[in-house]
Amino acid sequence: MNTGDALLKQAEALLYREADCLDRADLPAWMELYSEDGTYWMPAAPEQEDPLNHISHFYDDRVMMEIRRRNFVHPRAASKDHTVRCSHLIGNIRITAEDAVAGSCTVHSNFHAMLYYREEKRLYGGRYEHVLKQGASGLLIQRKRVDLIDCDAAHKSLIIYL
Amino acid sequence: MLITTESGISHLVEPCRLHRRVYTDPAIFELEMERIWGRAWIFIGHESQVPRPGDYFTTNINHRIPVVMVRDRDGLVRVLHNRCAHKGAKLVDKRSGNVRAFRCCYHGWTFGTDGKLLKIPNEKGYDGTGMDPKDPQWNLRPVAQHASYRGFVFATLDEKAPDLVTWLGGAAACFDNLCDRAPEGEVEVAGGVLRYDHACNWKMFLENLNDTHHPQTTHQSVVDAALDYISTLPPDAAKQREEAEIIPPFGGSYENFEKSGITGFAYGHHYDGGKTSIHSGYSVNPVYRDAMVNAYGEERTQEILSFNTHNTCYYPSLTIKTAIQNIRVVRPIAVDRCVVETWSFRLKGAPPGMLQRTLLYSRLINSVGSMVGPDDLEAYMRMQQGLQSPASEWVEMYREFGRDTDMGDRIVGTGTSDLDMRTQYRAWRHYMLGEVA
Ligand code: FES
Ligand SMILES: [Fe+2]
Repeated sequence: MNTGDALLKQAEALLYREADCLDRADLPAWMELYSEDGTYWMPAAPEQEDPLNHISHFYDDRVMMEIRRRNFVHPRAASKDHTVRCSHLIGNIRITAEDAVAGSCTVHSNFHAMLYYREEKRLYGGRYEHVLKQGASGLLIQRKRVDLIDCDAAHKSLIIYL
Repeated sequence: MLITTESGISHLVEPCRLHRRVYTDPAIFELEMERIWGRAWIFIGHESQVPRPGDYFTTNINHRIPVVMVRDRDGLVRVLHNRCAHKGAKLVDKRSGNVRAFRCCYHGWTFGTDGKLLKIPNEKGYDGTGMDPKDPQWNLRPVAQHASYRGFVFATLDEKAPDLVTWLGGAAACFDNLCDRAPEGEVEVAGGVLRYDHACNWKMFLENLNDTHHPQTTHQSVVDAALDYISTLPPDAAKQREEAEIIPPFGGSYENFEKSGITGFAYGHHYDGGKTSIHSGYSVNPVYRDAMVNAYGEERTQEILSFNTHNTCYYPSLTIKTAIQNIRVVRPIAVDRCVVETWSFRLKGAPPGMLQRTLLYSRLINSVGSMVGPDDLEAYMRMQQGLQSPASEWVEMYREFGRDTDMGDRIVGTGTSDLDMRTQYRAWRHYMLGEVA
């Protein structure tokens, strides 16, 4: 196996692990997969260039992740009274940029996420972009961008990361 | 009770009680679309969305009627019915864009940006038939009235509606304050839009805006989560983050909200805050403040920035946050469904950090992925479900009743008063039954 294949294998494993954490709504374990400067971004427009000068559905850094994971299990968060179950399928995973010296890479993939919430099944789909970097014990997520195919449509409450 | 008769409707709203059917009955909803949304001035868009001739923006005036806001060749912003004058096809189906002329996708009738019919392909078929293509009835029809106030464009389907300035009344001061907060005295739409699907009656969203008795309960979880996290940080670390100014005030005490006050006007408009609001503790960006002082002088700057409202509602379609520079635009879909859009504004002449704060606020509070909006919506959805119950026919709005002060053009009360609800239902009765607004 050449180094490119090895990196792809590691990246795939990380993406699958992340999807599994979200399927189980285990936000503390999910956060462990992110670097200290990690961010999670879900734009509200196709090809959106920037999370600060344009509105987004989500743009969390570690601080917001810390608040969100506390909110998620708060007994008085009424929107979280209903359990949320999710099932992610990720495919077409490919490394689109690589910096061998820094040990970082950009990974694109396509996803479908079936979500069950408030007695309703919903289907989300689109494209992921992950920027991964080498941490002390393997790859970590430094940036995740979630481009929903219907990012600019009217959406219902989305109480968990996709 | 036969609700579609006038006396049936008049029994649904008492001074301090509402019949549950105002939220649940599809027949009432259809009547509201005709009598409230068909008579009031409805917010369409902002002139900055159509800066050049030929620029257009499409929306609906109620749950159904499509209109297009367009800047014509002479620079005038018009609101036209988005309906081909031929066989009625919706003429423009994109949300926004630029055209030289509107050409219908069906038989190619072509209209100028002022609505005038320019061309019918193979026109000779009409020769001698009695159909005169020059007759204005074959132009795109303008809505009954349209007008703008400081760039905010409204339209009404009612020829007899009072002019926009009269209708806005004292609540126009909030548009003034929003625009005056720009060093150049003007705002423009910027940073995109959020569209939020609400499974509830449209009035529940409006009625929550200045319901200052809910944040302590509904938003306790996000305030707790934020404060719990902040408590793990070294002292002062939270000061670096604007989120720390935005989230905790949602947990403000009842006394704080009481102090902020509620002001109600004719036609259902109202705001809470004035001297204080949940936004008044925000720090002021020093570069922005300098730009303001340069433009207005110290005293006027002070005056502009200290008029601090929380939400202003222009009943029934628009709510604005002057201190935050975002607005929410409401469109009903059905008796139990509406869409709420959040738009943000740039203060012309202000540093870029100001728009970024507006967008941060919209994302933290109004996004489907926020930790605030979903808990509000959860409460509305539960009301929509709970009100199906015949356990009681009534919803109350007695809080502080009889203790509001009538100042002539406005009524003021304490911040936790149901004055906002009573103001809206006075307007509801006005539109539905022709009573005084
Ligand atoms: S319907 Fe528009 S041209 Fe015929
Ligand atoms: Fe709320």
